[in-house]
Amino acid sequence: MTSNSVASKDKTTTIDLMAHLMRRAGFGADRDELERRVAKGYEATVEELLNPQGNRADREHFLRYHPGFRRAVTSPGMGASVWLYDLMHTERPLEEKMVLFWHQIFATGQSKVDHWHELIAQVDMFRDKGMDSYRDMLVSLAQNPAMIYWLDNCDNHESGVNENWGRELLELFSMGVGNYTEDDVFECSRAFTGWTISTVPPRNYYSRFDWSFEYQEEDHDNGEKTFLGNTGNFNGEDIINIICQQPATAEFVARHLYNFFVADEPPVPAWSVTPPKDPKAIATLAKAFTDSNYDIRSVLRVLFLSDFFQNARFTKIKSPAEVVVGTLRLVGQDILPGPGIGDLSKQAGYMGQELLNPPSVEGWHTGVEWINSGSLMKRINFVADMLGDTSRPGVQRIIDRLKAQGNLGAEELVDNCLELVGPVKTGSATLHQLVEHAAQHGELAWDTDESTKASTARVGELLQLIAAVKEFQYC
Amino acid sequence: MQTQIAAGRVFDFSHAVGRSAASGTGFRHPVAVAMGTGSNASAAYVINRGFEMIPNVHWNRTAVGVRITKVVPGLVSGEEELVTEFSKYGDAPGQVIWPAGVAVDSQGLVYVTDEWLNRISVFDGDGNYLRCWGSTGSGAGEFNGPSGIVIDSEDNLFIADTHNHRVQKTTSEGVLLATLGSFGSEGGLLNSPWGLAADSDDNIYVADHRNHRVQKFSASGEFLASFGSGGTGRGELGRPSSVAVDSDGDVYVCDWANDRVQVYGADARFITSLIGDAHELSHWAKMTVATNPDAVKRRREVKNPEVEWRLSMPADLVFDNVNRRLIVADTQRQRIQIYNKLRDYTPPSRTL
Repeated sequence: MTSNSVASKDKTTTIDLMAHLMRRAGFGADRDELERRVAKGYEATVEELLNPQGNRADREHFLRYHPGFRRAVTSPGMGASVWLYDLMHTERPLEEKMVLFWHQIFATGQSKVDHWHELIAQVDMFRDKGMDSYRDMLVSLAQNPAMIYWLDNCDNHESGVNENWGRELLELFSMGVGNYTEDDVFECSRAFTGWTISTVPPRNYYSRFDWSFEYQEEDHDNGEKTFLGNTGNFNGEDIINIICQQPATAEFVARHLYNFFVADEPPVPAWSVTPPKDPKAIATLAKAFTDSNYDIRSVLRVLFLSDFFQNARFTKIKSPAEVVVGTLRLVGQDILPGPGIGDLSKQAGYMGQELLNPPSVEGWHTGVEWINSGSLMKRINFVADMLGDTSRPGVQRIIDRLKAQGNLGAEELVDNCLELVGPVKTGSATLHQLVEHAAQHGELAWDTDESTKASTARVGELLQLIAAVKEFQYC
Repeated sequence: MQTQIAAGRVFDFSHAVGRSAASGTGFRHPVAVAMGTGSNASAAYVINRGFEMIPNVHWNRTAVGVRITKVVPGLVSGEEELVTEFSKYGDAPGQVIWPAGVAVDSQGLVYVTDEWLNRISVFDGDGNYLRCWGSTGSGAGEFNGPSGIVIDSEDNLFIADTHNHRVQKTTSEGVLLATLGSFGSEGGLLNSPWGLAADSDDNIYVADHRNHRVQKFSASGEFLASFGSGGTGRGELGRPSSVAVDSDGDVYVCDWANDRVQVYGADARFITSLIGDAHELSHWAKMTVATNPDAVKRRREVKNPEVEWRLSMPADLVFDNVNRRLIVADTQRQRIQIYNKLRDYTPPSRTL
């Protein structure tokens, strides 16, 4: 779709499209931001997201108030607060969304690593490199201390090969099952011998120290290796170069991007037996990957400008991270990182996605698997609590917009609220129920202090109900 | 380099005190330190910021290790002594949520700022809670994020009112006397001031955190001088957190984001950097290591022990005029590091 065809649509459609882009390429946007972006245009917004000019969250500001999170203790969920702050405060939404994307693929967990700040260092690397060369990203990943420990490459020696990293690099991080042999796994692992982490003092008297990558030449297997039909004295970077040249890698990355940004695919282990939903789309993205020399930004540009992306509205179930971050950004963040952010950072975990602590190296199963009776309750309650708090600045902005329209009847009120928290499109039965509820106390009026107070409370209640509608769980 | 000679000064590393401890002999994120006065002159009061750890409880019950530790640092390692600890996490009277600064007046009373509750709490020298005051806002006498605090020779309080970008001068009862600075980046203006110091003439020094400098004001609030500028290089500052002045007029700045202390002469000339020199484990840290044979083994494996010596995001420092020494709160390393400023030092012969 070109910018002309987007511009030619009526305003509502354009807002809908922009809201779709911002939900997928970011964590949603409030009405003010959507209108600003619509004025700028769709293609220009895509370019701005790909080459962001805004600021990242101010990490030092966060640590000035929460010094304990610089190298957080083991306590469950707490160390993810640092990232939650980034997610809430960044002005570069796609960059941060890509951090989440890579974290879901290169899933590394606190359950084993037990060093929150090393996981934070890993997601910081995703932020720095997440839209650049996939090849360079894999090299950085292979040298990332948290990953080295997570997949035991520190136990991968010339004298005794540990295949954990080598196997997952091929199976879960690049090509997928069925595209290599067991011999390739072994040879790949040999090439990464000697890629380890430096030894640091223990944590128990002066708190934790930072890990760093260390290449131990004396522990590296310098012998000849044969990998995917190539033979040579390969080191780790050579292996990654060969991996990137494989068509399977391009398709694997393309399918992951499609699953994350366009529509839910089955879990990765099923990919070798279940074809993609939209093979043409995968082929388009894979071609962009190869043509651009593995440049993720180039693939994303093709994706966001494609019809298959723009038409895929409300076809994905929001991940818990999207629910939590999207809601917090919508209702308006506290200026300061206040006490209690540790608890906030655990909310996605209660919904089934404990950030920085995926259930395994395979990451989370997405799509409908996010939803069960427990997680659904948590999702609804969290969003309802936030949207129902009319003191929050983002909710206040919604109320101000409603006020500006004067007295509102039930249908207008429901329509406006659905627009302002989304837009969210509901089925007619749901819409009918919402209108019925809104009609209970007559027209919404703002002419006296008393009516404003009552109307504010009613808007809060209605927003809570909207948080509970099925369509709100989709993005 | 444990003895540092620069521009006629000699800074000689003394010892470190502390270890990671949520209570008792040690600290947890020490963010502020002040020396006692009178009969408590050998003691230091250390603010432990603690850390959030407990989810699913009310917001005022989430943190661990928050307290004020009264400790005698001693003159050499092994002499340190825990005297007492007081206050804890909470918003009841006598409790603290985000304790940020500490100062002691001539009567030995201990004043603690709380940058979340926007109040100042007062304790006696033994840690018994006496009173508190403070209200939230930007009006005269109100606070928004009070952090650094210092007390002048007449027992007036100077409190960095961080988010209001000013320093408020009050009586020891909290009655507003004057205001220094306002938001901006020009000389005399402030951006998120944090730690404070006073010299022997009652000039006030302000760590102008987000302007990456220290500003000096006269007792009457007149802007006098500026120290440092933003950066990571020689003499530069990255979000300085605090400042101290010794009786010679030398100015010490906690260069928080650069993990070091910057030393300037009274004329703002840069003298040297102190980056942390705790080569020997503190007495209490040794006790921790000794209980764990694997910790002993691991320390022997470490190629680069230097990481243990260095300062990590130090948030505060104070000059102990009684013993002519600088005491630095090494926030991320759960200890204080102490440097003696030697008066009489004869270097050995060059030909040694």
